[in-house]
Amino acid sequence: MVGKGIEDIDINMPKDAYDIGKDTPTFRAYLTIVVRDSEGKVVKVHRQKSHSPTANFIGLMLPLTYFNVTGSSFTIKSTGGSTYNYKPAISPTIQCISYPNSGYNYPSYIAMIQVGSGQQSNPYSTYSLAAPIANGSGTGQLVYGQPSIPSNITVSGSSAYFTVSQTFNNNSGGTVTITEVGIVTYLQFGGAYSTSPGFSGNILVWYDVLSSAISISNGGSVTIYYTFTVNP
Amino acid sequence: MVTPDLVSEEDIAKLIIPDDLPDEHPTFKAYIEAKVYDKEGHLMQYHRQPMRSLTQYFLALMSIPLIGTYQGASIDQAVGILTSVLGLPSSISSSQSANISWDWAIRLGSGTQAFSLSLTGLAAPILNGTGAGELSYGSLSVSYTNSAIILSLQVSNTTSNTISVTEIGITCTVYTQYNQTTVSTYSFLLSYDTFSTAVSVPALGMAVFQITLSFTG
Repeated sequence: MVGKGIEDIDINMPKDAYDIGKDTPTFRAYLTIVVRDSEGKVVKVHRQKSHSPTANFIGLMLPLTYFNVTGSSFTIKSTGGSTYNYKPAISPTIQCISYPNSGYNYPSYIAMIQVGSGQQSNPYSTYSLAAPIANGSGTGQLVYGQPSIPSNITVSGSSAYFTVSQTFNNNSGGTVTITEVGIVTYLQFGGAYSTSPGFSGNILVWYDVLSSAISISNGGSVTIYYTFTVNP
Repeated sequence: MVTPDLVSEEDIAKLIIPDDLPDEHPTFKAYIEAKVYDKEGHLMQYHRQPMRSLTQYFLALMSIPLIGTYQGASIDQAVGILTSVLGLPSSISSSQSANISWDWAIRLGSGTQAFSLSLTGLAAPILNGTGAGELSYGSLSVSYTNSAIILSLQVSNTTSNTISVTEIGITCTVYTQYNQTTVSTYSFLLSYDTFSTAVSVPALGMAVFQITLSFTG
């Protein structure tokens, strides 16, 4: 039984107990953006730290114990605003993230790195980009390529990382400017003997506002690399 | 941060490899806290230190919400990270459907070992029990706040001797469910740290270990 609070006790506080802002983080995420002109020549490389998992990401990372002990679900919100009460469990009737199999498949996969021309200040509560740039060749649009996913983790000494990337072409006839970026995963949740998912949707799991706007001239392209690393 | 313009093509591959971009906030901070109480419930020791060592399995686990489990909309094969790092099957043989979930635990130990990305366990795990050198593990508590996940574990020392805790790790069990009731399990170590000073749990005392994983937006 805990009798007294910490404030009542003369305890020995080690120096490393305080956050002095100089600790080496064990995880980092980076954004690298390469802009090319209409001849394919690199005209700009932008790099910045990536900061922001969304609430969707935090909820999806939670272990079963959270749901088992609290009895709570976590509300996943799609980019379209629909919601799903995520509450995984070891039970054939409970819906969890789908996994490839030889029976009934309803794939969960990265839908896209999405780019936008707006910005919003609270990434945690963000479930969609402020002003998504549409896929197309109309005014203000970009042609979305397919996202590229890694086949493995790259190990370098005691650190490891993987990178997700996607290229966008500007066939709009004018310059297009990007100010926000996010990762959207298409997730489907189902039971262990379902023939159809209980919920499907595009889920924004990571979001960043760029530290400076990126402009892509007509005929040019931009490739966005998200790199996630441990022990950098 | 914007690097100089007109970077050559061969430099691009180097740029996407992680390095430090100074003067910006870190993406992630993690802390380990330990509070030790004597048999009367008085707080004897408070210890807090940064977590330093995530394994490749943590990176693989977080790839699931980031890139999903399938290689694509029409490719019914698991992404390479899940098969190559976690050892999951590329496709489960099932006449029905399949899904995936995971659970975590905090484990304590009395040894030390050098960190590696592929560590699978603690050097000298302290067993759950009431025998000599053992601690009685309570249930793991999990909560979250904006951008942070908090794990907390209470242990009791019912023995007549002090037990020193020198290492701590987060373990993970991944479950795949298929064919209605079949479950396969895969176990990993997500993090490993040694304490800068040992945490000593006195006879008939108890301790609370808390790990905070904070994604600082």
